[in-house]
Amino acid sequence: MKIFHLPDLGEGLAEAEIREWYVKVGDEVKVDQPLASMETAKAVVDVPSPYAGKIAELHGKVNDIIKTGAPLVTFDTGEGIVDKGSVVGKLETSEKKWDEGEVIIGSAKASSGNVKAMPAARVLAKQMNVDLSLVTPTGPQGLITPDDVKKFISQQAPTVSLPGETEALHGIRRVMAQAMAQSHLDIVPVTIVDDADITDLPPGTDVTVRILKAMVAAARAEPALNAWFDGKKLERKLWEEVNIGMAVDAPEGLLVPVIKQVEKRSDEELRQLIDKYKKSASDRSIAPADMQGATLMLSNFGTIIGRYATPILLPPMVAILGCGRSRETVMPRQGQMVIGRLLPLSLTVDHRAVTGGEAARFLRAVIQHLQGK
Amino acid sequence: MAEITLVEAVTQALAYEMQADPSVIVMGEDVGKNGGVFRATVGLLDQFGPTRVLDTPLAESMIGGLAVGMAVSGLKPVAEFQFMGFIYPAVDQIINHASRIRNRTRGRMSCPVVFRTPSGAGIHAPEHHSESTEALFAHIPGLRVVIPSSPARAYGLLLAAIRDPDPVIFLEPSRLYRYAKQEVKNDGKALPLDTCFTLRVGEDVTLITWGAMVKETLAAAHQLSEEGINAEVIDVATIKPLDMETIFASVEKTGRCIVIHEAPLSCGVGAEIVAQIAQKALFSLKAPPERITGFDTIVPYAKLEKYYIPSEKRIIDAVHRLMEFA
Repeated sequence: MKIFHLPDLGEGLAEAEIREWYVKVGDEVKVDQPLASMETAKAVVDVPSPYAGKIAELHGKVNDIIKTGAPLVTFDTGEGIVDKGSVVGKLETSEKKWDEGEVIIGSAKASSGNVKAMPAARVLAKQMNVDLSLVTPTGPQGLITPDDVKKFISQQAPTVSLPGETEALHGIRRVMAQAMAQSHLDIVPVTIVDDADITDLPPGTDVTVRILKAMVAAARAEPALNAWFDGKKLERKLWEEVNIGMAVDAPEGLLVPVIKQVEKRSDEELRQLIDKYKKSASDRSIAPADMQGATLMLSNFGTIIGRYATPILLPPMVAILGCGRSRETVMPRQGQMVIGRLLPLSLTVDHRAVTGGEAARFLRAVIQHLQGK
Repeated sequence: MAEITLVEAVTQALAYEMQADPSVIVMGEDVGKNGGVFRATVGLLDQFGPTRVLDTPLAESMIGGLAVGMAVSGLKPVAEFQFMGFIYPAVDQIINHASRIRNRTRGRMSCPVVFRTPSGAGIHAPEHHSESTEALFAHIPGLRVVIPSSPARAYGLLLAAIRDPDPVIFLEPSRLYRYAKQEVKNDGKALPLDTCFTLRVGEDVTLITWGAMVKETLAAAHQLSEEGINAEVIDVATIKPLDMETIFASVEKTGRCIVIHEAPLSCGVGAEIVAQIAQKALFSLKAPPERITGFDTIVPYAKLEKYYIPSEKRIIDAVHRLMEFA
């Protein structure tokens, strides 16, 4: 398309009146072919066509006044407008749709679930894993301060306060409290219980000594239980010798003297050692060296009372055998009811270091040895 | 209702207002016969004649001065500078006169002029055709700086700028000129100045941007939504004065914000926005505010241009950084 603007038909004439059109829309015209007769203030003149092409539009009717420079005729020159749209750079028109969806003038005005908190309070809350929306703000304009977070944390960890005068733990009772708490934190314990039928043991048998020997036999059957375990490095050490720590109930708390190399000792030696350690434990004369190096543990709580228990391990050991009080009971034997004697056993192992199968086979070996098989 | 490009929306707004208000004058280099370097004024000379559409000499200082003179004499000039890099000869007229007429005359006179110019990179042009120096003008008291980001906003905001009694720097993102088409009703309805437009509602992070960067920002927001992160996208539109209320409301909701602009980092408009957020919305922030911007360099030539313009990826990476804060 090309637009022909009315040229100055005289000397600085501002306008001209259309007297007659020589062409109509759709006509094909040649260059210099007269288009219209125009009357100016000075003369009537024919206006020649500057272009060749088809007339697309006439910008006025007869008697209309056209200003100089205004469009007179639009030509369809068949070329179309080829326009880069810019003299610099590259900028092509895309037919892509501008898809904006709904545009909000100003703010979306959504309510806020976000809390206001001092940056230090946010950092503290993140470190302590505190949900800020649960913290009661006390700062200006509902602002959560670091103190608010601290207060929230202290409220979440309830503390026990004992009434009246209290007694501070010390010595072995204190050590026991710490060791047991640590054991509870670190160890993954599993306990298995069963009974040993000791009906047929000869009268006068030293059951404690026999249990120690049974533990040696079981340690040979399942060495994984006669071992130490390091949970941080994930290392274990299997022991050849069997050193059995015996939990001894002393007035000050729990003491664990260790009977070393049980596998090498006679029944008489073992009994002597047991008696010696019991005495030295109760009068606190026991040497520290005699309480070290245990590889397995025995808790003979049945000398007092109790059937089964879930004994707690002392790291780095991985197994502890608890013996309950033996009892007479009616049981079936070869189709008959007989009165027999059962020794209840509870074995706790650290499941990080010992499999369930190893634990069960260890307990089976203890029972088989006690039953004389 | 026609579907038009951003540059056609500029033309449509100019034509509408020239028709409605005989005091509106369009002027600039090649704006008449040629229709403007980007064809933003095409057809206006034919429609309104040479007394309303002025082809000026190649003298930006003169364009600035002439426009100020017309404006204080009762006309409403809309002066075009061909590229943002060509506006600087007129800065004396703009800063020393246009922005100060109201103050200088103790309010007796105002200066209703619009200085239009394409801005930003992305069209493979030499460097002074590619810059985004909106912060220079945003810094000047008495100037309003407006940057549309769609055909509809180009139309509505240009009408508002022409009708405003004070000087407006109207920056048209050249790489969006013909990027896509939108239905724009030619009804003469202006959009509000000094007001942000919320283009996308979200709860997780506020992306604050304007002009051509709206394109990359919306694309990034869409991408993020596919991984479950809902970004709120705010087109600031008027860079000076800032509609901080809208920005504060959004940041208080999301607790995270990134300002994205094509202009260089240092002393950019992003710095002003982040400073105000730090002062007024600090306690709602879950993460430090970020700015994703062009670099502190001259805009490079065509081959490196795409590395200069903040990419969708840079925006997404920044959002991921902020989302690491609880």
